[in-house]
Amino acid sequence: MTIRPALLLAFVALGLSPLGAATTILRGPYLQSATPDSIVIRWRTDATEASVVSYGTDREQLTSVAKAEGILTEHIVPLSELKPATTYYYTVGSVPFAPPAAGKSGSSSRAAIHSFTTPPPAGTVKPTRIWVLGDPGTKNDVQRAVRDAYYNFTAKRATDLWLLLGDNAYPDGTDADYQKAIFEMYPATLRTSPVWPALGNHDARSANSATQSGVYYDIFSLPTRAQAGGVMSGTEAYYSFDHANIHFICLDSHDTERKPDGAMMQWLKADLAATTRDWIIAYFHHPTYTKGTHDSDKDSDSSGRMNDMRAIFLPVLEQGGVDLILTGHSHVYERSPLINGHYGKSPTFDAAKHVVQRGDGRFGGDGAYRKKRGRVPNAGEVSIVTGSAGQAGSKPPPLNHPVFYLALNEAGSSVIDVDGLRLDLTFINDKGEKRDWFSIIKE
Amino acid sequence: MRAPPPILLVVLVATALRAHPEIEAGLARLNTAVATQPGNADLYLERGELYARHEEWFHAEANYLTAAELAPRHAGIFRARGALALARRLPAEALSFLNEARDLDPADLSTRILRARALRQLGRNVESGEELDHVLRQSRSPSPDLILERAALLSPPESLRMLDGFLSRTGPVPALEMRALSLEESLGRIDAALARLDRLTAAAERKEAWLRRRGDILRRTGRETEARAAYTAALTAVSSLPPWLRESPESAALANELATLARSPSSSPP
Repeated sequence: MTIRPALLLAFVALGLSPLGAATTILRGPYLQSATPDSIVIRWRTDATEASVVSYGTDREQLTSVAKAEGILTEHIVPLSELKPATTYYYTVGSVPFAPPAAGKSGSSSRAAIHSFTTPPPAGTVKPTRIWVLGDPGTKNDVQRAVRDAYYNFTAKRATDLWLLLGDNAYPDGTDADYQKAIFEMYPATLRTSPVWPALGNHDARSANSATQSGVYYDIFSLPTRAQAGGVMSGTEAYYSFDHANIHFICLDSHDTERKPDGAMMQWLKADLAATTRDWIIAYFHHPTYTKGTHDSDKDSDSSGRMNDMRAIFLPVLEQGGVDLILTGHSHVYERSPLINGHYGKSPTFDAAKHVVQRGDGRFGGDGAYRKKRGRVPNAGEVSIVTGSAGQAGSKPPPLNHPVFYLALNEAGSSVIDVDGLRLDLTFINDKGEKRDWFSIIKE
Repeated sequence: MRAPPPILLVVLVATALRAHPEIEAGLARLNTAVATQPGNADLYLERGELYARHEEWFHAEANYLTAAELAPRHAGIFRARGALALARRLPAEALSFLNEARDLDPADLSTRILRARALRQLGRNVESGEELDHVLRQSRSPSPDLILERAALLSPPESLRMLDGFLSRTGPVPALEMRALSLEESLGRIDAALARLDRLTAAAERKEAWLRRRGDILRRTGRETEARAAYTAALTAVSSLPPWLRESPESAALANELATLARSPSSSPP
């Protein structure tokens, strides 16, 4: 491919290099708001330039081009009219990609070719792997060990999407914190798998949900108009999306009004009523139950946010048929059996009343948890605190909340595999050991 | 003015160390930093905010006081003290701090939101509304809660105009449409309320809940034939769900309820 002389002159006039050699990519590319037919690709350069993505389904033929307006350092390029469940190859730069001439290497980082796979049509069945990281952003060796343990575990199996449960970048969720804790920590995953974050208390030190301003809201492009499924929320603070036969709901447990008549609650009710997916997975930062590095029985802990999520939001989620609740904040791993209807402090927990199905939930053990297919209110969910992707508790926490089947003060991350009507979750610690696992079957 | 005597800080820290692991970890880091930079107001501010997040008001205030003594014209300290006073339901005191914070940093929208809330708690709704208007103008994408907070300070017709302005930008966000819908109904503008419901229905993958709500509004206003038609349409929507959803207990219960409502004019909707 050649660049026409007129185009070359235009680049010279604008002070741009058509080869993009003058600029360096500081961040990304990273993938946002993936849908079966669209995706947003973002990256940052050290100097202003145009935003161009060259892409195609053949690695040797990146003939499609998408651009964004403006000469910028923060590049946000939406790709549309993609095919579902299809692998695309792409490069980013200031001009359309020109493949290296035969016999030349062309191996500059700006010419690096990456790939992503679009989600299948909403509602269809496709094996899906989800990586779940709660409170990862310590930037330290523990975070790296947790990351590498997952990479070893998943090996060549692609990560279809990953969830960040908040406190993604310590200590203050600044741009510099995010650079080290996310962009320099997970560059390969960012390039190939869309990341769907939730806001944590440390992220909120540099962000404001009321005005949707600050670092978190600047960094992420999240659906406000139900672009990826669900009901439009009108805000990036809380949103939902579909992937295959799974409906994901992200709530803002930190910085959005949590009143029963608040906008987030109204949206949640509408969203739960609207979905026809087989699975509902809800995630947010503050746990409904924990006795880890936080205590959900203590009203003052986290200004009552854990109480609010348990007493106000949990009944609605359960009524709406949620299957799995993922939270962080407490730097431990705590996992319940199939439970329902416990909205008080831990002394009010009554296993006879609140446990829908006992046991470890494991094939080969007590057996998988079983639920009926369909929207069955209050059929039970597994509640998981997985907030140790960056650190475990520095002192031994109590880990004695009666709702949990298992509690571990170990760094690690969770992996969810959904295949049709079967869901498996595995907790991998920072040494690569499989420390918990269970399955839910719908029938 | 000097920082608190070391013995007071020791007492504060010792008390807090029994409190909570996150406070403990944060305190350990901040105490070390304070020991090496005892004149750094930002460290006391951060420590105060740590306490405030865990509703340890006494410790929060003690740290803010020290910070204020070290940096008397620090907008963030005034904002934090205003937020603390608001959390303690002391709106007049909060307003005094927040006025200072606004004067020092007029572009800080967090301060302006807190100030609007202090004004509202003092019954100064017009000024509160003006402050929120400023925030809404300056925000790239204000949250639905903030829009509703402003709308609540207006008369129903003004509120509707304002909500429609935002809805034209955001699309049919349920929380905004539902507030507008109830305002329309309160003003007796039933067809306008129904038109809003139609927009929500059109955007929904599952339509039965919105159609049922349509029936409820129509029945409340005595439009019986149309109400029955809406309930029947909701029933049709349920029956067109995929079998595994249609046959779920929730759908079956809703279908029974809709069938009754579609038959009986005496069944009063909620």
